[in-house]
Amino acid sequence: MASAKPSASRHSILPPISQSGPKPPVTFSSSITISDGAVLTGTNPILISSESVIHPRARLDSMGGTISIGKRCIIHERTRIGDMGSEGRLSLQEGNKAVTLEDYVTVETAAVVEAGDTLLGEGTVVGVGSRIGRGAVVGKYCTITPQSEVPDEARIPDFTVVYGNGMRRQDKRGVSALMNKAQRQQIDVLRRLIPSKPEKFH
Amino acid sequence: MSRRPPKGEYIETDTGNKVARKANLVGTQNIMLGGKTVIQPEAMIRGDLTRLNPPSSTSSSGAAAPGSNTAVSIGRYCFLDRGCCLRPPSRMYRGTFTYLPLRMGDHVYVGPGSVVQAASIGSHVHIGKGVVIGEMTIIKDYTRILDGTVVPPHMVIPSFSIVAGRPARVIGEVPEGGHEAFELRELYKTVGNNPQRAPV
Repeated sequence: MASAKPSASRHSILPPISQSGPKPPVTFSSSITISDGAVLTGTNPILISSESVIHPRARLDSMGGTISIGKRCIIHERTRIGDMGSEGRLSLQEGNKAVTLEDYVTVETAAVVEAGDTLLGEGTVVGVGSRIGRGAVVGKYCTITPQSEVPDEARIPDFTVVYGNGMRRQDKRGVSALMNKAQRQQIDVLRRLIPSKPEKFH
Repeated sequence: MSRRPPKGEYIETDTGNKVARKANLVGTQNIMLGGKTVIQPEAMIRGDLTRLNPPSSTSSSGAAAPGSNTAVSIGRYCFLDRGCCLRPPSRMYRGTFTYLPLRMGDHVYVGPGSVVQAASIGSHVHIGKGVVIGEMTIIKDYTRILDGTVVPPHMVIPSFSIVAGRPARVIGEVPEGGHEAFELRELYKTVGNNPQRAPV
């Protein structure tokens, strides 16, 4: 009664996504975990540092500039990193950075980080379905709660929680070391669960 | 004349599940569907995020019993609308990070674009559009979660509540006799390769 799928040998139903757009030059650390269901497009380089995890169906678009992802970041499914935003195309100078994620950043399901020198500081968590506007600079260990929005060009100081309808408060728990430890453990588990295929993107 | 019948938009299984071919199911061997469940296009289920070491199986004799590491189990007559995402919740348990199974009862509707990371969802639950259900949430039977709600992690929602807001609060109760509206049998019939028209 409880049998699920027509064939047990098939481990995923992931309809292919049309690889529209160019394949970006990538620089991967050897210790990253990237699912072959991830989507990398664009013309500028994409850098991913050691032990970061990219879930299936995450989308990294380097059309607007370089994307660099720090150590031990987790990019969940359906995220759009380097999104061109509502204005469509933006013109950036040569060598400009689209999105920079420092170490220990988590971008949760369906969150959008727009391109345009956007920076997420160390240990920041971007919640489910949130949007980080282009050019925003988010400090260290911030929490952007689900479905929130950080406007374009916004500056968010360290240890800020953005919640509700754009309200902010300070995170005074002082648990950043513990959060980093949890992130390391989560990456350890994800590395065993997500089959990594970095060679697909080279 | 071709030997194979033309492919429909949905895969229909013997137990009556209707799974859209455009749905994204990762780790299907860990997803249990109870039957008569509809999965619409672009819905995503992360079955690959399972518990690594089930604590119940103390014997280390090779392969675990089938279904012991189910990541997502769904009851009968559930309806997963377009672009929703079900993923098992995670937590720190005895000092280690683990994923835990997501269990869902019967007649659960998950609206378009909603992300569900609950530990347990009862039967006859309606989750609206663009809802985020935080990790390890427990939702009891006959609950209605309105559009755009953000349910914080670890919240427990009692039966017959109506929930809304960011963060979510219980704003009311399902009225007497209002639980008829949670039935999803009619909705089930309106999709699939041979859909019936919705009753007027």
